[in-house]
Amino acid sequence: MISPEKCIGCRTCELICSFGKYKEFNPRNAAVSVFAYDEAALAVPLMCMQCEEPSCMKVCPTFAISKSEDGSVLIDSSKCIGCKMCISACPVGNISYNTIQKEMVKCNLCEGEPKCAEFCPSGAIAYVEATATNLDKKKKMAEKFKELFGEVNE
Amino acid sequence: MIIKFFALIRDYTGSKEISVEGCHTLRELLNKLCSRYGKSFSEKLFAGDRLSEDIIILVNGRHIEHLKGLDTGLEENDEISIFPRIAGG
Amino acid sequence: MMFGWTGKLLRVNLTDGTIAKEALNIEDARKYLGGRGLGTKMIMDEVDPKVDPFSPENKLIFMTGPLTGTLASSGGRYEVVSKAPLTGTIGASNSGGHFGPELKYAGYDGIIFEGESDKPVYLYINDDEVELRSAEHLWGKTVFDTTDELLKETAEDARVACIGPGGELKVLFATVMNDKNRAAGRSGLGAVMGSKKLKAVVARGTKSIKAAKPEEFLESCTDARRKLKEHPVTGTGLPTYGTEILVNILNQSGALPTRNWRDGGYFEHAEETSGEALVDKYLVKNKGCFGCNMGCGRVTRIPDGKFKGFGEGPEYEAGWSYGADCGVSDLAAICKANFICNELGIDPITMGSTIACAMELYEKGLIKREEIGGSLNFGDADAIVELTRKTGLREGFGNKLAEGSYRLAESYGHPELSMSVKKQEMPAYDGRGVQGMGLEYATSNRGGCHVRGYLTSPEILGIPAKLDPLVTEDKAGWLKTFQDLTAVVDSVGICLFTTFGIGLKEISDMLRGATGMDLSDEDVLKAGERIWNLERLFNLKAGFTKKDDTLPERLLKEPLPNGPGKGKVVELDTMLKEYYEVRGWDEAGVPTGEKKKELAL
Repeated sequence: MISPEKCIGCRTCELICSFGKYKEFNPRNAAVSVFAYDEAALAVPLMCMQCEEPSCMKVCPTFAISKSEDGSVLIDSSKCIGCKMCISACPVGNISYNTIQKEMVKCNLCEGEPKCAEFCPSGAIAYVEATATNLDKKKKMAEKFKELFGEVNE
Repeated sequence: MIIKFFALIRDYTGSKEISVEGCHTLRELLNKLCSRYGKSFSEKLFAGDRLSEDIIILVNGRHIEHLKGLDTGLEENDEISIFPRIAGG
Repeated sequence: MMFGWTGKLLRVNLTDGTIAKEALNIEDARKYLGGRGLGTKMIMDEVDPKVDPFSPENKLIFMTGPLTGTLASSGGRYEVVSKAPLTGTIGASNSGGHFGPELKYAGYDGIIFEGESDKPVYLYINDDEVELRSAEHLWGKTVFDTTDELLKETAEDARVACIGPGGELKVLFATVMNDKNRAAGRSGLGAVMGSKKLKAVVARGTKSIKAAKPEEFLESCTDARRKLKEHPVTGTGLPTYGTEILVNILNQSGALPTRNWRDGGYFEHAEETSGEALVDKYLVKNKGCFGCNMGCGRVTRIPDGKFKGFGEGPEYEAGWSYGADCGVSDLAAICKANFICNELGIDPITMGSTIACAMELYEKGLIKREEIGGSLNFGDADAIVELTRKTGLREGFGNKLAEGSYRLAESYGHPELSMSVKKQEMPAYDGRGVQGMGLEYATSNRGGCHVRGYLTSPEILGIPAKLDPLVTEDKAGWLKTFQDLTAVVDSVGICLFTTFGIGLKEISDMLRGATGMDLSDEDVLKAGERIWNLERLFNLKAGFTKKDDTLPERLLKEPLPNGPGKGKVVELDTMLKEYYEVRGWDEAGVPTGEKKKELAL
């Protein structure tokens, strides 16, 4: 769960995410990105929302994307052909492509133990089991991000 | 004597400054304060029967470490300041 | 393959516009670590210490450390190094934010600027593509406007370090600002940048930084972060109240210098200007620099009134200089003056202190009403805001203030009224009430400065031990250790505030994990000592001597009028003699041949 009001914009999540995935530090290869809005005194960590009905999964021509039992949306890199359809399909822009490792970058919740939540110093990123209540919240937040992300892409 | 509270200590006392009478040592004063502000305050102040490492107490601007600790004698016109451990710079 | 460091430097000649890429000297990196240490080593090798800081012969170095841009706790720092115009000493200023890491992601440990451009330029680094571009359209613009425009014309996800009008106009205490509100603040390095007509450096990088021993590095970073999180100061105090929290404890300890240090260490309005008051009234949000798990930064807003504004800060020393030092109790005015410093790119510590000095000169009748077109008494909230603006733009009387308090007081025949060491203003801790800080100011290699060996920590805050602030015993030895460790911190690329919660061992662990270098804890501290001595050698070659290791007369002769230190002066002679001894320097304060040999200098 994400609480932008708590985010201090330190981008530790980006660091630990890229390290967890590639054993290197490179925020641009992280599956989470922090967008800071100075004027609004707001910083928003953005990552895959593990949608209930993932559009990325629907468009994937090789069926490399699936939704697991615990709710996380996963990319099977052995099936992925790198066509990047999922990037276009994601409404919140939370999939990217790592040009060095030549693979899609998307949050997989670190197999149930997300490092970003573990390292977040302010509690802005927290990992909680999905319940009806926080799913609603999550959805609302996702919609907010959608608007914000739209602005960023203008 | 005047007791001043600072930073997070104010969350426990609900006030910045109070006046107390009739305490002859710092220990007496702190016991009095603990009974006034209750368990959470005394747990913040003390670790067992020793003063917590996370508290700074000044008597007339002097850290009690450089006076006589909890046995520091107090007089009626003294000013006692209680801080959590803080830093900056 | 390099670990920790990227192994590459940029050399930019502003006179002929050439840009070269060169390899980092790895032997130097081992000896001087990075940031402040390596930057100073390059200046020492390439710049005559006697050079005019504003001449093309002076160089300006931006240098990161091996931990910059990694998971190291608060590892977002870089250092700007040059010969400083305010002091004439070596100048090295450290800053956080996001610029330093971005430079490393672009593939460079640092940039050496040499020569001088004849037209305003900025450097744009986009990974391997590096070019100088015209900055004519940006000249005269504030830090905020410059940053916004540069992000528009380069890349939205780039990072900007730049100067404001203060640096362009060579205000002697101009800053280099990055990410808008973060400052390489002291000694006037922004003015060096201005003298070279370099308006900004923009960096964008997509490369990775690797650790030599990834698992061990992760473990030591995790350990350091956990300790910082659990420590009451770095885990609770700094995030909650920011650095301004220090106002009350320094005031209660009788060491908050008041009205140009004239009225002792007690300011009757301290509470109104405290960190607690800032949180209550104007704090919007905490902000952290890159990779920081403290987040002491203050995003503040003055919602209405004549001081309406929005920005960051003030930090404790800036809040003090405009507050207690100018006798001003209006926190909104203090915030506003600090915002203006950030926008115009000038150092609020020297600015506030210089205004305080002018206030005393005015009250003594030395500055006349006619000259400044009005009064200038202590406590004048409007004046701190207006004079800050005028100084940043060198307008009217501001043109005089732009030279700093020493040159100002000297021009009225009273240099002793400048509360400075080596012409740089001392911040916020009265050495008469905190003896070790007196020694710290006198011996700091960049003049009056609190972050070269922060003895306030043991003397007032009880970290890591409780030293009596009123005595001189052992202060020299403690100061040496603090100065050496601080040099390490400023060189590896992490934040000094981490040292409230972690120490040499944790820092060395991270350094070993990142670089793979076989350095013991002692080797690392020795590198700090080497850096300190190198800075000293630079200053000696620049012409400084033992007689410059002193304090304003006020601290040596006027006893503190109030508080627990009442009647005290700084007992400098005693401490300084001991200090030279523990440093292994001779009686004239010169590192002995033996010491230089020991440090491989």
